[in-house]
Amino acid sequence: MNIQDFLLEIRTEEIPAPALLSARTELARRLSDVLAEEGLAPSSSESYATPRRLAAVLRGIPERQEDRSAEVLGPPASTAFDAEGKPTKAGEGFAKAQKVSVADLVVVDSPRGKTVAARKSIPGRPAEEVLAELVPRVVAGLTFPKMMRWGAGERAFVRPVRGVVALFGGHVVALELFGVAASDRTLGHRVLSEGEIHVTGPDDYLVKLRIAFVEPDAEARRIRILEAARRLAAEVGGQIEAHADLANTLADLVEWPGLVRGAFAPEFLELPEEITVTAMRTHQKYVPVRGPEGLLPHFIAVMDNTEDRKGFIAKGSEWVLNARLADARFFFETDVQERLEGRLPQLSRLTFQDKLGDYRQKTSRIQDLAEEIARLIGRADLVEAVRTAALLSKADLNTLVVKEFTDLQGIMGGIYARRERYPDAVWKAVYDQYRPASGSDDPPREASGAILSLADRFDSLCGLFRIGFVPTGSKDPYGLRRAALGAVAIAIARNWRTDWRPIARKALSLLPEKLAGPDDEQTLEELGRFFAERMRSLLERRGHTYDEISAVLNVGVWDFADTADRARALSEARRHMDFRSLIMAFKRIRNIVGAESPGAPTPALYREEAERALATDFLQARSAIAGFVQERHYREAMETIASIAPSLDRFFVDVLVNCPEEDLRRNRLALLASIQNEFTSLADFSEIVVEK
Amino acid sequence: MQHDAHFVDTLSVRPGTFTLQKLIRELTAFWEGEGCLIEQPYDLPVGAGTMHPATFLRVLGPDPWRAAYIQPSRRPADGRYGENPMRLGRHTQLQVVLKPSPENVQEMYLRSLERLGVVLAEHDVRFEEDNWESPTLGAWGVGWQVVMDGMEITQFTYFQQAGGIDLAPVTAEITYGLERIAMFLSKANSVFDVMWNDTLSYGQVRHRDEVEMSKYNFEVADAELATLMLDRHEREARRCLEAGLVIPAYEATLVCSHQFNILDARGAVSATDRVGIVRRIRDLACACARAWVAGKQGQRFPLAEPEPAAV
Repeated sequence: MNIQDFLLEIRTEEIPAPALLSARTELARRLSDVLAEEGLAPSSSESYATPRRLAAVLRGIPERQEDRSAEVLGPPASTAFDAEGKPTKAGEGFAKAQKVSVADLVVVDSPRGKTVAARKSIPGRPAEEVLAELVPRVVAGLTFPKMMRWGAGERAFVRPVRGVVALFGGHVVALELFGVAASDRTLGHRVLSEGEIHVTGPDDYLVKLRIAFVEPDAEARRIRILEAARRLAAEVGGQIEAHADLANTLADLVEWPGLVRGAFAPEFLELPEEITVTAMRTHQKYVPVRGPEGLLPHFIAVMDNTEDRKGFIAKGSEWVLNARLADARFFFETDVQERLEGRLPQLSRLTFQDKLGDYRQKTSRIQDLAEEIARLIGRADLVEAVRTAALLSKADLNTLVVKEFTDLQGIMGGIYARRERYPDAVWKAVYDQYRPASGSDDPPREASGAILSLADRFDSLCGLFRIGFVPTGSKDPYGLRRAALGAVAIAIARNWRTDWRPIARKALSLLPEKLAGPDDEQTLEELGRFFAERMRSLLERRGHTYDEISAVLNVGVWDFADTADRARALSEARRHMDFRSLIMAFKRIRNIVGAESPGAPTPALYREEAERALATDFLQARSAIAGFVQERHYREAMETIASIAPSLDRFFVDVLVNCPEEDLRRNRLALLASIQNEFTSLADFSEIVVEK
Repeated sequence: MQHDAHFVDTLSVRPGTFTLQKLIRELTAFWEGEGCLIEQPYDLPVGAGTMHPATFLRVLGPDPWRAAYIQPSRRPADGRYGENPMRLGRHTQLQVVLKPSPENVQEMYLRSLERLGVVLAEHDVRFEEDNWESPTLGAWGVGWQVVMDGMEITQFTYFQQAGGIDLAPVTAEITYGLERIAMFLSKANSVFDVMWNDTLSYGQVRHRDEVEMSKYNFEVADAELATLMLDRHEREARRCLEAGLVIPAYEATLVCSHQFNILDARGAVSATDRVGIVRRIRDLACACARAWVAGKQGQRFPLAEPEPAAV
């Protein structure tokens, strides 16, 4: 069978970097999948993407599908054939409808009994024909966070489509995407290349794009950016801060990355570094340069160009950054005219949420909640600091710097508090209150910051859940998933072992009265499920398996740090010992005991040797386990539990639980139930999946 | 590539050789050459060229439309007493609307920069995602900000909805921030240093306006009057709509919008009030849009389908 390569390029107006990141590999993957379903699986696939094109190369696609035969079920055999086995009118009608001769009808066994079937041979179709049908369907199925229409307004895609290349074995595939007919022509770089490019196949395409100043591979662009940035930084005695997100974004903003280094006025180094770095990184997408002693007055900018021929690009970038920093300095100098405390009354004009009140009210709730948390975790010494930090925590929302640089909320409050000489425990808490900002971010540095962050998160979560703002699907406008995940991460990082329900209850009690929506207990239940989901995703990221996570979550979620420990112990213990027989035994116990609660076993009623042995082992293990649990040596506790597996096995072999004597039966059930109760306080072993 | 001899050397750092007035002339001439009707600025205070009926109303309905015009845009809260080198309470936009959006609209825009003497290969010109939404107009669009050597110089939007109505055909809207571009092309450190013509600077012409209007909008404006104006013009817009008068209703809506901006600059709008006022203005804008579309179909609007010549 001959094979050929397929090239598809969808040329568009500039696709936004975030959309490109997720769409990059989607096109090739989906095409491969549907081709495989059609019996045309490619031997390999490659994805290419720039802001102005999405491309897929699928190599080694068979030229034709194999011929195949299929059976189409028809009427029951008894209706299609008469007693002599001759086809009836119904049989002939079916054959005609299926375009086969009566001789091609066979009788097969189907769920409906003996049934007539038409045996048809389906000739394979040329791949080109299949592609012409499939590609438009696959492309129409690509979705983006934000779609748009253009021109006549009939079609929607991420950005207007301006050209399509579709080549199979060097031939143009006759298809149309968004009203644009496929051809063998494309365009190179918008400015650096002129005229149409004629392409004959995937390799020709890649070579010619690179000649036309388009690097189609995003990873190659990223590496080129990082290498050039390191070199330019080294020339001024500095280093770049490796910032993966920024490098990815920059690579997705250009077709042919070039870099320039610029300088800003050294006087701006006197500004808090956070502001300067944010102005560069977030606002201008420049890479900051750091020397041994701190930030250098240099930056590196990516341009969609080979070089800065006349120096305009560096000059322009410098000019813009200096203007931004001048603006920032004006904001900063204006902000420090007023103390944070003086800004508090303004917070009553800033709404947190209609029903949950303004930021002044939120501030006062966070204060009480922070105090409660400090006491709960045994840090009453921090009460004063966290109350002060909570009071000041939202005061920066009305500062000019935060209005301009919204990413710096909290951080600016911390910087202003430091200038006002608040103690470390206060200003660092304010500074770190929104951390961890993402899955890869660290939690707050200080205990006070962790307390403040938890208090803020519990207030938002409890308040919004209480008024029915439970995130669904992709809708999470208040970022509650991140809030909950952050709370869990902080408790674990700090190893603060406590049941957090009292804090959630306290948070609910502080909310404005007479809120519509679910009552407190219902809210708490929903919140528990929500935390369990966050806990699950956090544990999955730590490499725990699905069944292990279910096992520990089944016996309680509200003590986050403890749950994480139990999960770790379970994973380790499983790696260490064979849990299979124990798990099988627990599954069996769960089935036998069911919902019965037979009370405590009576030693006098033990009859069999295996029964006595199990009871003895159980009692010994129980006291050892109690000691381990007390010390939170969960792995040892679980290994001790596992050690009674042989006695359990012997018990199930030698002892008949459902014996005729009712008192013996109840006693045996009571023994098993006690084992189940005592030994599943750390994890529900019956959830663990055992390979057969 | 077309190069105007007068502009070729304007990119070297020589403040004074590039004027705002030339910029306006060249860009207007360019778009005139692309078949745009050259409209006049609207003679009511508006926050952006989008609010001009030549955009807001003309993007509605099926008829093709190409127009370009200068629009002074008032944003009271952006005023900085003439002390900030980049911010103005009133700046100048060149607004271009093309319906339906042409296939080569990006190339057209880039050629307009070349008309100003910009040699594209000597710069870094990028289209970076920036979607636009106007809650008061019930309008949103998808597009980019055009960034040249790190500076935002143009907003580029495919209108998806206006006045709550889904748009088909889709209009491409190109909004040049003229002071920004002039500053950039003449590498002036402050907008007030930009030359308006060969002898007078922007500062000489406009600085006093910025100082006084900032003082007025932030400190002096009578919030009670603004509230009264807003309320009365809302009522007036409703009355006009009932009388079937779309343009007067829309003008009254524009007054509401500007009075709201003054109240906002004055710090007289709480967050809760804001939601309510924005909704009131949006309701008016949407009602105007619906009335405009209804009227147009009834009138067999000449732009869509020329009336046959009288026999």
